[in-house]
Amino acid sequence: MMPSPTITRPRPLSPNIQIYRPQLTSVLSILNRITGIILSGCAVVLVVWLVAAAWGPHAYAPVQAAIASWIGRIVLFGATFAFFLHLCGGIRHLVWDTVHGFELRSIYISGWSIVAASVVLTVAAWVVSALMGG
Amino acid sequence: MIIKSSDQVSRATLLKRFPIPRNFGVASESRIERGKAWPAPDGATRTKIFEIYRYNPDSGENPRLDTFDVDLDDCGPMVLDALIWIKNKVDSTLTFRRSCREGICGSCSMNIDGTNWLACTRFISDLATPATIYPLANLRIVKDLVPDLTHLFAQYAAIEPWLKTKTTEPERERLQSARERRKIDGYYECILCFCCTSGCPSHWWNGDRFFGPAVLLQAWRWLTDSRDEAKEERLDNLEDPFRLYRCHTILNCTRTCPKGLNPGKAIAEIKKMMIERRS
Amino acid sequence: MDPRNMPDMRTPLARAMGLGSAKEGVGAWWAERVSAVALVPLALWFAASIIAHTGSDYATFIVWLKTPLAAILMILLLIALFYHTALGLQVVIEDYVHSATKFAAVIAVRLGCCALATAGAVAILRIALSD
Repeated sequence: MMPSPTITRPRPLSPNIQIYRPQLTSVLSILNRITGIILSGCAVVLVVWLVAAAWGPHAYAPVQAAIASWIGRIVLFGATFAFFLHLCGGIRHLVWDTVHGFELRSIYISGWSIVAASVVLTVAAWVVSALMGG
Repeated sequence: MIIKSSDQVSRATLLKRFPIPRNFGVASESRIERGKAWPAPDGATRTKIFEIYRYNPDSGENPRLDTFDVDLDDCGPMVLDALIWIKNKVDSTLTFRRSCREGICGSCSMNIDGTNWLACTRFISDLATPATIYPLANLRIVKDLVPDLTHLFAQYAAIEPWLKTKTTEPERERLQSARERRKIDGYYECILCFCCTSGCPSHWWNGDRFFGPAVLLQAWRWLTDSRDEAKEERLDNLEDPFRLYRCHTILNCTRTCPKGLNPGKAIAEIKKMMIERRS
Repeated sequence: MDPRNMPDMRTPLARAMGLGSAKEGVGAWWAERVSAVALVPLALWFAASIIAHTGSDYATFIVWLKTPLAAILMILLLIALFYHTALGLQVVIEDYVHSATKFAAVIAVRLGCCALATAGAVAILRIALSD
């Protein structure tokens, strides 16, 4: 068995993420992680918002104004999409944990379904919100 | 759009690679440089361009990407046939592993057009233009398309892939019902080509400690074999935040298995057995 | 010879076995799933409540948060949310950080989530229990 040449020139590592084809499997998985991290940020904002509300209307007003500003709304729209994608993706993961839905056909159908469902739910949430008086 | 079996090649691709620079985060000895364009064959009417990763350990140079023109009328239909044609007719130093040429030995596993598969069971007609051939992802390269599989086989040895019993040996066979025997179907057929492990992003980032889909599928094969008597020990050895639980159900493994097996499902079964033994 | 550049002369099996199995890990996996199951209805309830209250003023919002149902569900949401977040972020850090910074980052995430959950719960209690 040849020793690994670490003192002499090391063997090159074959490319991985640089050349591997993005597929529905890996793309939805990394999106679930990215949306999760985004939602962690949203959790912090949630606590800031609650603490501001507990502090009284004078503390709550600037926080509410920031959320209601046009940049706040864009962020909130993105956060809503991230929320629904992570929620649907999470449910898909919970189903996998019961060892169901592992055939490739099911993986692909469930994958496209959660993308579609997330878009529909995001749009629906904002439409209902607009109708409610936003 | 809907993939029904792993041998389906996606016709349309939104992204051929993740949108990061070509040599992103790559150590200096692994940077791929532009390679040689080998001459096209004379008088060939149907040709196809192949871009192939080359590395010569004796030259002191970095790996490079060579371009070959393959005469499709002069070679067989599979990618392995094209590689053998190149080796015979153009560049005899092109190095790759091969043996059975029928998809059962697992030697010719490599990255073809961005996904891992066996060269002998991939049709040339299913390839993009130009076709790109890289070695299996994230492995140290010995030469050209030959990766160093030592660590992967060491991880396989670490799960002790043999029958472990405490009961004294029976006079004849160890008994197993037909239903019990069916439980290892879909797992015993693994040819250890390591297409799955090499395509797993979690193994890319944590391959030193994460066992990867191939090894975990074999671990499940022994866990679900009714004749084995070492379940407790096997589960203890697997219950580790890295060895088993770096699997985040990315499922690149199931998508890429050239034998149509399901490592993702095997790992889910292991995780389910982990919960069942403590509840 | 610099000890930091000494080659790794362990056998391949020794390298693969590393420090051996931790013999634990299922606890964190299970907790992440249990908190996820709790979050499905709680987060949906929260989203629906926020949407229903679009455009309401501060006073209306406070009146709603004072109701026992809203206060209790909000606190449960915070507990489930920050438990799930702490476990999830820990896994992300372990995946990508391999130096000693990893331990500092994991501790920071866990303590930060505890602090934020407590702050949020105190805020809700302050609103719910005041007059």
